[in-house]
Amino acid sequence: MLAMPLMIVVIFALIVVSNDNSAKTTKNQKNARFSFEYVDSSGLIDANIVAKLKGSMAPSKEVGISSVKSGKIDAFFAYPSHPSEAPIAVYGKDKGVFENGKYSSVALMILQASVEKKIGSAELTAIDRGGIKSTTITFKDGKVAGGLNALIPSMLFLVVFYIIIILLGNQMLTSTLDEKENRVTEMILTTINPTNLVLGKVISLFVLGVLQMVIFALPIVVGYAFFRSDLHLPNIDFSHLVFDPQQMTLGALMLLGGFALFTGTLVALGAAMPTAKDAGPIFGGLITLIFVPFYIFSLIASAPQALIVQIFSYFPYSAPVTGMLRNGFGTLPLWQGVAVVVELWVLSAIVLRLAVRLFRYGSIEYSRKLSLREIFSA
Amino acid sequence: MSGAEPLVRVDHFGMDFGKKNVIRDLSFDIGAGETFGLLGSNGSGKTTTIRALLGIYLPTRGNLQINGRAFRPENGIKLGYLPEERGLYKKESVIDVMVYFGKLKGLSRGAAYKWSIDYLEQVALADKEKISVDKLSSGEQQKIQLGVTIMNNPELLILDEPTKGFDPVNRRLLMNLIDAQKKLGSTVLMVTHQMEEVERLCDRIILLKDGVSRAYGTVEEVQDEFGNIVIHIEHEGRIPPSNKYRIIEEGKSISKLEVTRGMKSAEILQEIIDAGVSVSKFSPMRKSLDDIFVEIYGNDDLKDEG
Repeated sequence: MLAMPLMIVVIFALIVVSNDNSAKTTKNQKNARFSFEYVDSSGLIDANIVAKLKGSMAPSKEVGISSVKSGKIDAFFAYPSHPSEAPIAVYGKDKGVFENGKYSSVALMILQASVEKKIGSAELTAIDRGGIKSTTITFKDGKVAGGLNALIPSMLFLVVFYIIIILLGNQMLTSTLDEKENRVTEMILTTINPTNLVLGKVISLFVLGVLQMVIFALPIVVGYAFFRSDLHLPNIDFSHLVFDPQQMTLGALMLLGGFALFTGTLVALGAAMPTAKDAGPIFGGLITLIFVPFYIFSLIASAPQALIVQIFSYFPYSAPVTGMLRNGFGTLPLWQGVAVVVELWVLSAIVLRLAVRLFRYGSIEYSRKLSLREIFSA
Repeated sequence: MSGAEPLVRVDHFGMDFGKKNVIRDLSFDIGAGETFGLLGSNGSGKTTTIRALLGIYLPTRGNLQINGRAFRPENGIKLGYLPEERGLYKKESVIDVMVYFGKLKGLSRGAAYKWSIDYLEQVALADKEKISVDKLSSGEQQKIQLGVTIMNNPELLILDEPTKGFDPVNRRLLMNLIDAQKKLGSTVLMVTHQMEEVERLCDRIILLKDGVSRAYGTVEEVQDEFGNIVIHIEHEGRIPPSNKYRIIEEGKSISKLEVTRGMKSAEILQEIIDAGVSVSKFSPMRKSLDDIFVEIYGNDDLKDEG
């Protein structure tokens, strides 16, 4: 269990060192100068700006290109008559895929600086460049709605759900299959109550999943808190996040209900099937079901009343993901959220009871697949 | 039956699987400290009875009790169970498996570890504690299985086909362990087809067929029930006729008598001596359990059993 966090720490250290080196390299590239010439059909280029960059005008496009080819200069720029319609033609000595980008950056920068000088106003230039921000305030039930700031906290439940199911889905299945395949079920059943056993498995898997996530997240949190500048991470303002009580409560209940439903189903599957190989196709189908809602992601976000979204909201194995997505987007009315939560919890209780029964009767039929009919006639 | 209150009580137990009536009506008791044999052919319902007794199956009819109540793991009785289907966590180390089962049986980690180390030394597996179970030979795995079964010093030891698949060395080890547990006061319930084991170990037995009891009592009582005693007698003088026995072979000095049901051998001997016959050898012989088993079950499916 400690191998993974240790590996993360090592990778983290390597990233810090690499970032430091790459920052130095970027700085060097930024300060690097190169020789260049240009021709200007637009009449927009300011010769003084070019002169400050140690550039000069070429007699013609052909001469400029020829000078680059012969290695006399590093780069040549041909500005078109209408830069808004035609591209700037850039020619340069090959310095590798990534470093070659500096030629077009400098060519563009010269044009923008020249235009800004002609306009004579930094603000107008900024507006022209599209550097304008806007703020939006929306209202829900007469109160300011959280918007994107409310989406992030409630979507965390969906992230937790996915991580736990993906990390531990196979373990949920094998938790009962191991006992069956190793023929120890009967010995287990005489030492522990099957209900306690199955509930213990579900709870311990959830705790294990949360613990694994904490272990994964810890280096990231520590890195952000103490090494943000070294890692060149953006400063995120968490104070704007909105923790809407309704969304957070529904999200948590759907996470727990969805987890219990999937875990109970996988435990039951493990108890009913003789081997992991036999359980594989059904396990694959169940895991696929948690990704299916993403095929209608745009409908979930924009048209929550669409029939397919409604079906996915209530079909037990797509309900957790669809419900948590809609809850995050703020398109899940309270009554519908409660209905999904009740459905998930009631079904989880039924499936867990079934899992206990399957474990009691099914897992001692060591090498046979069992039908539900056999289980309920026992 | 020894003891006033039975440790195990099965009262009019019935079990159906769908339309299949596996156990029709079965009743028996096992007293504390007793060794009891549950016998029957394949499919006669022995394992079903054990599983119902241990709460793995819920009975369709009747009551099955251990220590006065239906068995639940949390009830507190110390149980050792060797199921017919045996297994251990194969990818785990020997000591981890033993400690895990010890903890499940209520031992502390330290106590389970100490017991396991002592046991491994006792069965010459001390050097194998750290290796995974699947690296052990089949015989070595059987030893671990036995250890796991008895590690909590069980008050009730239930052994389902205990010698099935065991090599002779482990069979002897098992028998010694059962003897040791009996001396410690354990009650033993064993399901077996090995009649030698039954005759050697069991105080009482029950024979199941088609979901009902065909015979129940001490080994001698069952033998009596399934065949009259035959007496081999060496004598001088003529054996007189009597309603206490039937002369089935009469010789000058060696004869064979079949004892009338309910008559005691000692009374017959006394009657013959009183009639003036000199008796030099008098050997009452009961029908063997093997013969009784074959008589009840025919050749059913015994040959595939150990």
